Amino acid sequence: MFSSYSYVLLAGIIFVCMLIPLSILSEFLFIEPFFVIHVIEDRTFGFTLLVAISFMSAVVIPMNIYRIRTLQKSTTKIGGSLLGSIIGASAGICSCGPIGFSIISTFGTVAGTATAFLTNYEIPLRLASLGLLCLVYYTTAKSISIECKIQ
Amino acid sequence: MNRNIIVAAAFFGIVIIVIAGFSSYYFSLLEAQNMPMIKPTSMINLENGSPALGSESAPITIVEFGDYQCESCYYWFHNTRSTLIDNYIETGKAKLVFVDLPFLGRDSITAAQASYCAEDQGKYWEYHTMLYTFQDGAPDSGWANQDRLNSFAFTLEMNMDEFNDCMDSSKYKIRVKANYNEAVKNGVQSTPTFIIISSDGTTKKFAGAQPYSVFAATIESML
Repeated sequence: MFSSYSYVLLAGIIFVCMLIPLSILSEFLFIEPFFVIHVIEDRTFGFTLLVAISFMSAVVIPMNIYRIRTLQKSTTKIGGSLLGSIIGASAGICSCGPIGFSIISTFGTVAGTATAFLTNYEIPLRLASLGLLCLVYYTTAKSISIECKIQ
Repeated sequence: MNRNIIVAAAFFGIVIIVIAGFSSYYFSLLEAQNMPMIKPTSMINLENGSPALGSESAPITIVEFGDYQCESCYYWFHNTRSTLIDNYIETGKAKLVFVDLPFLGRDSITAAQASYCAEDQGKYWEYHTMLYTFQDGAPDSGWANQDRLNSFAFTLEMNMDEFNDCMDSSKYKIRVKANYNEAVKNGVQSTPTFIIISSDGTTKKFAGAQPYSVFAATIESML
């Protein structure tokens, strides 16, 4: 399926569209006053997980789109891959950042607890997200190979 | 059929969450863009902020808007601040002023008040350092509760009766609130946010725990 340029392009778009905004929100990438990538030693693992999640999302989501379009299969697996991507995306979004500030200012302490949860459990949430994406990749790849043989 | 409806509902929910999250961020960016990054003159009121760290006559003023429970502020404190102090504050080129933006929880407010109670005893920056050294865990998890604030004061050999009286009377509640309002007035929407002010009043604003190189380049361009 990745021999088709349209799916490679889609994967590339998903990878870039996930990695850049999430790196900005997680404060690994700064665009003002200069374009700077800054990954401190304490957060290297978190950044590596972010890159891995973006990569896995870029692989798994086009695979599921292919499965739905070409093989006319159910949308359950793409639901799993989107869920994995979203968990990975929301984990680690800094509660000190503009999203955290606007949410806490609007919704108060409960929202503060929720955003703090996303910040403090960044690594476990990203690991869970990566695990979910790997599982979806495995089941999708298996499903595609079986269904393609039958057809 | 039911399964398809559940999947469709899940998609719909996820899309709404993503749209809500990013639109919130987008609008905050738009609002930030309305506040120009370079202002012709400084209108920031620093009278309620911290005492200046460095020479009062330094041509550059670095204003840090921060929260003692903010993780990014912790990272900035431990990765960038000391080099900035060595190269710009101790050399008399810049001074640093900390302005509280305590939004992450109730302990952020009391920690900020405690820092001004420490200032009464001439130990503001020591107490500030203590708070960022011992920041540990989620906001309001107890690392900055009243007992810990007292123990920090005790460790710094402060007069505990005076410190307790200051905290019990909420003497600096209004000052901390004024700092919060000043931050919001200046379009600050995250911590840490920095405003660099030159001697002619020109300001540059940027947010996040950015590396030393960004500060050096910005300050050098304003000297």
